[in-house]
Amino acid sequence: MVRYLTIRLLQMFVLFLVFLTILFFLINAQPGDISAQFVGNPDIPPEAKQILRERLGLDQPLFAQYLFYIRNVLTLNLGVSFDHYPRTVADILLTALPRTLYLFGIATLLSYIVGFQTGKMVAWRRGSAAETGTMVTSIILYTVFYPWFAILMLWFFGSQLNWFPLGKFLTPAQWFDAPYTANQVFNTMLLSMFLAGAGVALVVWGTGKFVAEPVPRTRARRILFALIAISMLAFWLISPMSRYAADIAYHTVLPVTTLTLVFYAAITLLTRSSMLETLREDYIFTARAKGVPEKVIRDRHAARNAMLPVTTSFVLAIAFIIGGGIVTESIFSWPGLGLTLLNAVNVEDLPVAMGALAFIGLLALFAHLVADVLYAFLDPRIRVQG
Amino acid sequence: MTADRSMVAGKQEGEKPELDPGPILEVDHLIMNYRTKDGYVSAVQDVSFTIGRGESLGLVGESGCGKTSIAMSLMRLLPDNAEIQAGKIVLDGDNLLELSDEEMRRRRWNDIAMIFQGAMNSWNPVYRVGDQIREAIDLHWEEKPTVAVANARIAELFELVGLDPAMMDRYPHEFSGGMKQRAVIAMALSCDPKIIIADEPTTALDVIVQEQVLEELRSIQHEFGMSIIYISHDIAVIAEITDHLGVMYAGKLVEHGLTEDVFARPRHPYAWLLLSSTPSVTGPRLNLNPLEGEPPDLLHPPTGCRFHPRCPFATDQCAAEEPPMEEIEPGHLVACWNYEQVPEMKAESA
Amino acid sequence: MTDVTEIPPVDPVLEPDVPVAKEGLWRTRIRLWNRSFTKNWEIFSRNRLGVAGVVFVAFFGFLAILHPILMATVWPEEIYDPVRGNDTVILEKTVVPDGEVTDPITEISFTEAMIFGNFFPEEGDVVLVGQAPAPPNSAHLLGTDPFGRDILSQLMKSSQAAFTLGVIAAVSAVTIATTIGSVAAFYGGWVDSWLMRQADLILLLPLLPLLIVIGSLYEVGLWQLGLLIGILSGLGATAIILKSQALSVKVKPFNDAARVAGGSNWHIITRHIMPNVLPLSFLYMMFEVVGAIFLEATLSFFGLLSIPMSWGIMINTAHTQGYTLFGLAAWWLLFPAGLSVTLFGAGFFLIGRAMDEVVNPRLRAR
Ligand SMILES: Nc1ncnc2c1ncn2[C@@H]1O[C@H](COP(=O)(O)OP(=O)(O)OP(=O)(O)O)[C@@H](O)[C@H]1O
Ligand code: SF4
Ligand SMILES: [Mg+2]
Repeated sequence: MVRYLTIRLLQMFVLFLVFLTILFFLINAQPGDISAQFVGNPDIPPEAKQILRERLGLDQPLFAQYLFYIRNVLTLNLGVSFDHYPRTVADILLTALPRTLYLFGIATLLSYIVGFQTGKMVAWRRGSAAETGTMVTSIILYTVFYPWFAILMLWFFGSQLNWFPLGKFLTPAQWFDAPYTANQVFNTMLLSMFLAGAGVALVVWGTGKFVAEPVPRTRARRILFALIAISMLAFWLISPMSRYAADIAYHTVLPVTTLTLVFYAAITLLTRSSMLETLREDYIFTARAKGVPEKVIRDRHAARNAMLPVTTSFVLAIAFIIGGGIVTESIFSWPGLGLTLLNAVNVEDLPVAMGALAFIGLLALFAHLVADVLYAFLDPRIRVQG
Repeated sequence: MTADRSMVAGKQEGEKPELDPGPILEVDHLIMNYRTKDGYVSAVQDVSFTIGRGESLGLVGESGCGKTSIAMSLMRLLPDNAEIQAGKIVLDGDNLLELSDEEMRRRRWNDIAMIFQGAMNSWNPVYRVGDQIREAIDLHWEEKPTVAVANARIAELFELVGLDPAMMDRYPHEFSGGMKQRAVIAMALSCDPKIIIADEPTTALDVIVQEQVLEELRSIQHEFGMSIIYISHDIAVIAEITDHLGVMYAGKLVEHGLTEDVFARPRHPYAWLLLSSTPSVTGPRLNLNPLEGEPPDLLHPPTGCRFHPRCPFATDQCAAEEPPMEEIEPGHLVACWNYEQVPEMKAESA
Repeated sequence: MTDVTEIPPVDPVLEPDVPVAKEGLWRTRIRLWNRSFTKNWEIFSRNRLGVAGVVFVAFFGFLAILHPILMATVWPEEIYDPVRGNDTVILEKTVVPDGEVTDPITEISFTEAMIFGNFFPEEGDVVLVGQAPAPPNSAHLLGTDPFGRDILSQLMKSSQAAFTLGVIAAVSAVTIATTIGSVAAFYGGWVDSWLMRQADLILLLPLLPLLIVIGSLYEVGLWQLGLLIGILSGLGATAIILKSQALSVKVKPFNDAARVAGGSNWHIITRHIMPNVLPLSFLYMMFEVVGAIFLEATLSFFGLLSIPMSWGIMINTAHTQGYTLFGLAAWWLLFPAGLSVTLFGAGFFLIGRAMDEVVNPRLRAR
């Protein structure tokens, strides 16, 4: 598997370079002088312009400019924002990135977990009223025009029922004397979630590897999971940050739910058809002949295999998820990469727009890589050979 | 539960268990149809036979005559559109058709195991082969064994079927076709079933491997005294390894008897044609009597004797009345009005 | 946004015979298609959701055709033109509490007074109400937008735009993908790996953000957008799917027969492989339309396209004019347009799913 992943990683690096090349030509094919676009902002003082021109290599021939551009992106040297001069593009994007990761990560995780379970159940009970109901709901959610749906969610839960704030990242009134910046709190939240996830993965892997008998294995897992949960809980109960974290968390509920609902529908539809295919396989029949109880056949045999195509499809869904993320950020005023991109585009802040695009491309590649790793873990035909 | 686990212990010491007399399986007037949107497919029509303990029965017949359908009925693993209209399947004293789903589930593999037609795909690709066998053991052994004990048993079974025990930690895709088939046999043996149904267990294998696997299957069966139903459309393969032979045509069992009797003197015209068109197991090729006409359409089976449109001995009675299964000599049953007309094989040969 | 749908291996029902004579091949094929059409329609119509999809699409087709007729006959251009028309009536109205309006010509409810731009009304105030956006009335069946333009007219005009875009995107995508898929499957080797690597790469492009930037840098209209989406998807996901179908056709014996009979490579690709990929190509056209219309509406919603009128622009107008949170109180601004995008997309999606069952018998419910 190491070999497989190394190859994938190399491929992705090449893909990223190709992506950057496309971006570069996108800017250069534009009518007018590129240097005017990049350095033409009247807010920038003349001496700074000259420095920028050199830093961006705009006084060089096209190919040299291209190499310059690639090097600059790879070293995060993305220039200076027109709109927020003199903040650097890298600074703006690095602030926005965790917020997008958070939205993207939670919505993806939730929708995959819940959608997979639903798809599994409805495929199993083919022909039931529950199946029809779920299918109709999923098709409606899947085909609804997402921006419109998001607006309706905001209107209904935010304005009509008044359950959730009308977008934004936090309630400014609560924060004016806060000892932390929003980003500090937010990054701590992200980190703790990541640590918990890594802990769970480690426990699953470790117990699977070192505890052979199933009964003590389950027991060990339960204890270790509880330990992780308790330590998370303890940290957030004791930490003085929790007040502010709660405020942020409160603001995330509506956008995350909205985004999740739509992916959830897609995953449900996908899992159902994948599951129906799997249920026709010979090994399902073998399991029945072996006298394996029906529930175990569903979960251990059918669903486990149905996961493979669903995981592959994640690669196809990445573009879809990113698109949904941008719309969500815009409608719920969630200051992540998507909103940064849209704002930059609206005020013609080209460096920020191109930088955001590069970051989003990187995010897509990263998601692709995660899907690949997951797939390799799930499918022994790849795991064992590589 | 019904299986006696001491047998496992007994086997581990290599003893040969005692055989009870009497039939282990009795199939009595079984009728099974598939419901389709064009009507009913009559796949098993009034089939009866018995198998004694430690005996083997071969079922032969052309493709689509209902052999797999019988096997699936015995396992009660029929698709949703199948309906068992009538009959009894008595395994070791209990009518399987009267058991609840849960009771039947416990019986599967424990009492009645199966080696499938096309066992190539019968392994779940994401689990180790050993783990898949252990799943059956965990489910059916009276006392759920520890992983170590179960693995020891699997290793033993692997050796029995000629596989390296280390292979049990491998995934199915790392096995060749023949190895998968052997592992399937190991899995079928894992819970000491009273009877094993082998549905074309070797069709996907090349001839040499096929012979080896068959040979192993037979010696294992003899050693452990389990019963086996062996399904194939290749009569030559079956002849060598079974005690009894059943010949099926269009959902019906048309001839049933000791393999050597049926081989020496097939009395049903279809069996006679089948045997005389098959290269002899031992001697030179016999005179070929080609089977003419279309295979029957089970949606609209022929009236009377289902073989009459293709039968060289057919009379008017054959088209009108269904011939009953008659015992023409001890243990040799035939369903034909004119079985006396069927010539001896010898007369046809040479 | 691309669609996430199952990618099933496919057994086409529409399978032509082994070629008899070279000349009549296409004619034979069309005859066979015609014959199988009746049978396939029977399978299709058993899927009730698929029939619903046909109804949705037909409805929007009707709207699109009706628009020029209405404009030429009963709708004066200065009022009903979807972009330049205007019909603002200014009335004096008395503010009354919500739900106590008895005469809508002279009275206005508290909430409505707010909608029409009087932000701190008090009971009994007389306010001047410019009827834009005006709620549905006899002159404007679906009301008017914040600039006094007729919503129904905009809706109809947008249906035309939707069909235009959908057809451009679907036809270009599927033409490209069928060609690429067939060529890659037929030649295999490096041609195949090159084309498939390329497809992998395009699959990874974050389409919406890329189009956002392109839309802001260049003038992008319906045709440009349709072609752009079509090309990107035709080189990407659709090519991969159609190639796997072409591959399964390639191994069929009639190709060898054609080769033995002396057919050139191109002849085999166009006469034997492509026709067998076509049913699936046609199926993916449906999903292509869904993806294209959603992308267009989203980009229009962000105000990044140079299109005179579309459902996305209608939502964008309501959104930028501050009517987002009025919900049901100003329903005619958000609901007709939002529902139209949804139903139009759903229509093609459902047709695609039902066709999938025709093309791929394994998906059928028994
Ligand atoms: N699920 C089903 N629905 C309808 N008809 C079926 C079904 N399964 C089998 N049949 C029909 O029942 C008949 C018997 O099928 P069966 O599989 O038992 O034949 P077989 O003797 O095992 O043939 P083979 O040697 O090819 O395996 C065939 O005519 C077949 O078409
Ligand atoms: S009953 Fe008649 S038709 Fe049937 S096998 Fe005997 S002779 Fe032939
Ligand atoms: Mg069979």
